[in-house]
Amino acid sequence: MVTDTAEGAGTGRGSRADGPAAETEDARGSIADTAAQRAAKRRLAAFLTYGGLVVAAVAASFPFVWMLFTSFMTRGETLRYVVVPASVEWRNYVRAWSEANFALYFSNSLLIAAVQVGGTLLFSLMAAYPLARMQFRGRETIFLIILATLMVPETATMVPNFLTVAWLHSHSPIPWLNSWPALTVPFMASAFSIFLLRQFMRGLPGELWDAARLDGAGHVRFLFQIALPLCRAPLLTVGMFTFIGSWNALGWPLLVTSTQTWRPISVALLRFVEEAGAETQLQMAGAVIATLPVLLLYALIQKEFTAGISVSGMKG
Amino acid sequence: MNTSLKDRVTAWAFMAPALLVLGVFGLFPIGYAFFVSLHHWRVKRGPFVGFEHYHRALGDPLYIALFVLSLGLFCAVRYWVKGKSLWLRVTRIGLEVTTLFAAGAGLLGVIGSGDSRLFDAFKVTAFYAVCAIPAEVAISMILAYLLFKALSGKGFFRVLFFLPYVTPMIATAVAFRIIFSPHPSSLANQIGGVFGLGSQGWLFESRSVVSLVLQAFDITQYPAWIDAAFPSMALVSVVLYNIWVYVGYDTVILLAGFSAIPPHYYEAAAIDGATAAQSFRHITLPLISPALFFISLIAVIGTFKAFNHIYIMRTPGARDSVDVVSVAIFDQIYLFHNLAYAAALSLILFAVILGLTFVQNRVLGRKVFYGD
Amino acid sequence: MVLLRCFLGCCALLQGLAGCAPETVEVVPEIDLEAVDPSGAEVVFWYQHTTTREEALLGMIDEFNRTNPHQITVRGEFSGKYSSIYNKMMVSLQAGTLPDLLVAYQNQAVVYHLADGLVDLAPYMSSARWGLSAQARADYIKAFLDQDFIDGAQICFPPNRSVEILYYNMDWLEELGHDRPPRTWDEFAQMCRAARDQPFSLSRNPEYSQGFIFEADASRLATMVFSRGGDLMDPEGTAYTFAAGQVREAMVLMQQLTSEGAAGLLSEPYGDQKAFAVGQVLFAMRSSSGMPFVDSAVNEDGIGFRWNVAAPPQSGDRPVVNVYGASVSVCRTTPQRQLAAWLFIKWFTEPEQQARWVRASNYFPARRSTARELDSYFAENPRYRIVYDLLDYGKSEPSVPGYQAVRRLIEEAMVEVAQGGDIDGILPRLEREANATLEEF
Repeated sequence: MVTDTAEGAGTGRGSRADGPAAETEDARGSIADTAAQRAAKRRLAAFLTYGGLVVAAVAASFPFVWMLFTSFMTRGETLRYVVVPASVEWRNYVRAWSEANFALYFSNSLLIAAVQVGGTLLFSLMAAYPLARMQFRGRETIFLIILATLMVPETATMVPNFLTVAWLHSHSPIPWLNSWPALTVPFMASAFSIFLLRQFMRGLPGELWDAARLDGAGHVRFLFQIALPLCRAPLLTVGMFTFIGSWNALGWPLLVTSTQTWRPISVALLRFVEEAGAETQLQMAGAVIATLPVLLLYALIQKEFTAGISVSGMKG
Repeated sequence: MNTSLKDRVTAWAFMAPALLVLGVFGLFPIGYAFFVSLHHWRVKRGPFVGFEHYHRALGDPLYIALFVLSLGLFCAVRYWVKGKSLWLRVTRIGLEVTTLFAAGAGLLGVIGSGDSRLFDAFKVTAFYAVCAIPAEVAISMILAYLLFKALSGKGFFRVLFFLPYVTPMIATAVAFRIIFSPHPSSLANQIGGVFGLGSQGWLFESRSVVSLVLQAFDITQYPAWIDAAFPSMALVSVVLYNIWVYVGYDTVILLAGFSAIPPHYYEAAAIDGATAAQSFRHITLPLISPALFFISLIAVIGTFKAFNHIYIMRTPGARDSVDVVSVAIFDQIYLFHNLAYAAALSLILFAVILGLTFVQNRVLGRKVFYGD
Repeated sequence: MVLLRCFLGCCALLQGLAGCAPETVEVVPEIDLEAVDPSGAEVVFWYQHTTTREEALLGMIDEFNRTNPHQITVRGEFSGKYSSIYNKMMVSLQAGTLPDLLVAYQNQAVVYHLADGLVDLAPYMSSARWGLSAQARADYIKAFLDQDFIDGAQICFPPNRSVEILYYNMDWLEELGHDRPPRTWDEFAQMCRAARDQPFSLSRNPEYSQGFIFEADASRLATMVFSRGGDLMDPEGTAYTFAAGQVREAMVLMQQLTSEGAAGLLSEPYGDQKAFAVGQVLFAMRSSSGMPFVDSAVNEDGIGFRWNVAAPPQSGDRPVVNVYGASVSVCRTTPQRQLAAWLFIKWFTEPEQQARWVRASNYFPARRSTARELDSYFAENPRYRIVYDLLDYGKSEPSVPGYQAVRRLIEEAMVEVAQGGDIDGILPRLEREANATLEEF
């Protein structure tokens, strides 16, 4: 079972108290000749840091660069394994967009992702809170059962979930198959999200809750007014991953939709593989179109990650 | 446990929606798979056959029983035999060793008498996990830390690192299949050429990396087990692909963890004169341990469950050296049309992942430091 | 311990619930086909066609909906690739949400049939009111219909077929001193070696020059074996025959040419077509449905050499080619919709429609009289004519359950052979393992 121990706390706080006091003595004696050394060390550190980051960035992005280049090629160039296209074939993008009816699929994907993200954030936050901060019988067991759902192989969930959705479709007033419920509800609670949020919430200082309690706040108020703003980083992370999962999902949408009405963008990409040969340059153009929104979203959100956590509640 | 009734009701009420969804779409499949696995089930339900499929997969029930009971005894000994006296400690260690040996014997028996295709798949999965997880976690830790420390351009790098995970698999898989193709002009071979590596088979190479190294040294006669005991080059290529995809994912999570560390801890430490190494060890590491634990757990579960990113890189040339357990299960459904056996295998995989998580939780969970 | 008890409890409960899932009661009532009225029926059709073929298909469906006398409406739905459709069908069979008509390869259809998901079309074909006239019946190429007649039932119906043919670079062949494509496998081998030694003059990448690229694919092997007068299974379809002479010959040739560098092994999807289009490889052996792609690739890229198609090299005087293609199957839904689906297929395979479909898809028709409508098409596309004349010599791959698994075994064996493995050890093992799959069914 998961146990939090005080060992970590002891090691963390204890040794910090021991170290600096002893060091300051030595530091004062040799301040003058460490200034230059420190500057040199900083430059070295910066070099290593940025060097490492650049290497990693090149490694991470080169297939995407390949994808981008390929999307600008003519088919002839893709056949010849040309690395850099001679000119930019914007036509590919126009064709990909219109031939695959990207506009419709795009808005479908957005809608589906929005619903799924909203549902996941709400349900997961609500579920993570008692698991992180409340004591009740069966807490650890429930947590492990939730975790267990994470371990079920994909191949095992497809058929039963389809059966469930088909049953719900015929027994409920709203349509499930071929509509947004089947595409979103099964994924609205994810053990992954609950787990992540729980980890973060456990890291919140206990004094926050005590202070809120003193102010007469109940669980609901504490969760939505105090804890939620502090959990911005993990919430954004969860939202991000849910968005991506929803955006790139292919197998399940193909199963539960039969017409274009609600199909997401991943299905559109399928349409560029022909029985006789793949139109690689069109496929890649489509893939770039499909990737950009997610990237944009991430680029916008990631600033929020670094906003850090305001612990102004503590200082006062 | 001084929780009021009101508190308990609130707790369950909060968890209810998530539990409902997870129960219906996450747990019901387990029960359903169990139901299916007890029958003869091609596409439609056939007659009830009890544990026949498990028998086929895991072999002689005697060995299964030996394995399970010994493990159970081991846990029981750990849990109940406590004491400081020398006599008790010796007995405990003795019992633990005996039960572990018995469990090992049981396991060997199971592997010997069960479905060899299944255990080969587990072997491949283990190779995959051992190669991918440490690399993934280490690289993402380094990257997240570098990003955290970098002063400018963070956003730009972050977006780039995230690209592999975000790009649709159609594109990344096609890209990597072309990069790792055995064609002499493929990117992998060209880069390898820079390092003096000859043209390799990559995704088409089913021989193990060790045997390839031996061949490079002109050693062509080596025992057959060298190929069986080490991952194949194809699997290594698949591992590289997966590390590439998931490092960004892990880095994002770790970065969120780093961002959550209140900066005044570092300020206070700096005032006290702590070096970078010291603040890393005593502030960063403990405070990031929940996120780190999370990632390693998700990585273990993920690699054992992994399917899409492996299946898409499968080539006939790799033979069965990239067939992890979920791929083997998939084959049971789509090549052999045996839904019941596939369900049984899914449950076995599930049990293994459950066990691994349990162990990981006990071993690493203790080291996690939480705020209070 | 608590966890374990809880978990087992949940499983038991869920198992009980799952047990409440309706069991399929297979009672097939005797329906009088003549009395069924298909008026106003709606037919759902799952297909895998994309781009131009899909457009054409949807256009034809539209026309059927407008002009058929029973107000039947067919709704075509793109459902992914062949494998996605199979996936979807497997799930639908369990949930009971079947389409009415779907595209299926024979070995996929066999699986659906095992689950009682399909309808035997034989009664529909011979029905007095709805069936085919004797003349129409004879017009269908018998081999195609037979291919889809499995286990005593007509479980699918051929709307079109493709042939596996040899694509060859005419200009390059002339440079090598030959004026016609290889007629025998020996000639083929000779030409491959020549191609290795003398790259195509227009090729932009003369370092990579080969005669052929072998794909580790069961259909390629089947073509090579059929053309030598052999087969993959015994005539009754009860056992695989991989250790037979013709299979061995095909494998030996493959190994020989690969080790000499005159041929290579395919390493990426459509790689052989791509290499052919840029003049790096002299021959390609592919489905005839690839002709439009090769055509535009060769010309669009700018090399623009003359190329043509022919039957693969043969051993006997009578050619044997591998004819394949997905058929359509009618699912067991309601008598009205089944009949409506059949009427659509019947309409679709009438010569006039077949001609239209052929023009759009470059597939080959299932009915001979279609040729009458295609005179202008033959004139515009002489290559198409060449392949059309081969249709009568078609032979098909096994359509037994489990063939899908055997295909994978074949692929792996071919790679082993191409990489220099011991053929006399590999083939008997392949035969053994393949026959083992038969026992599972």
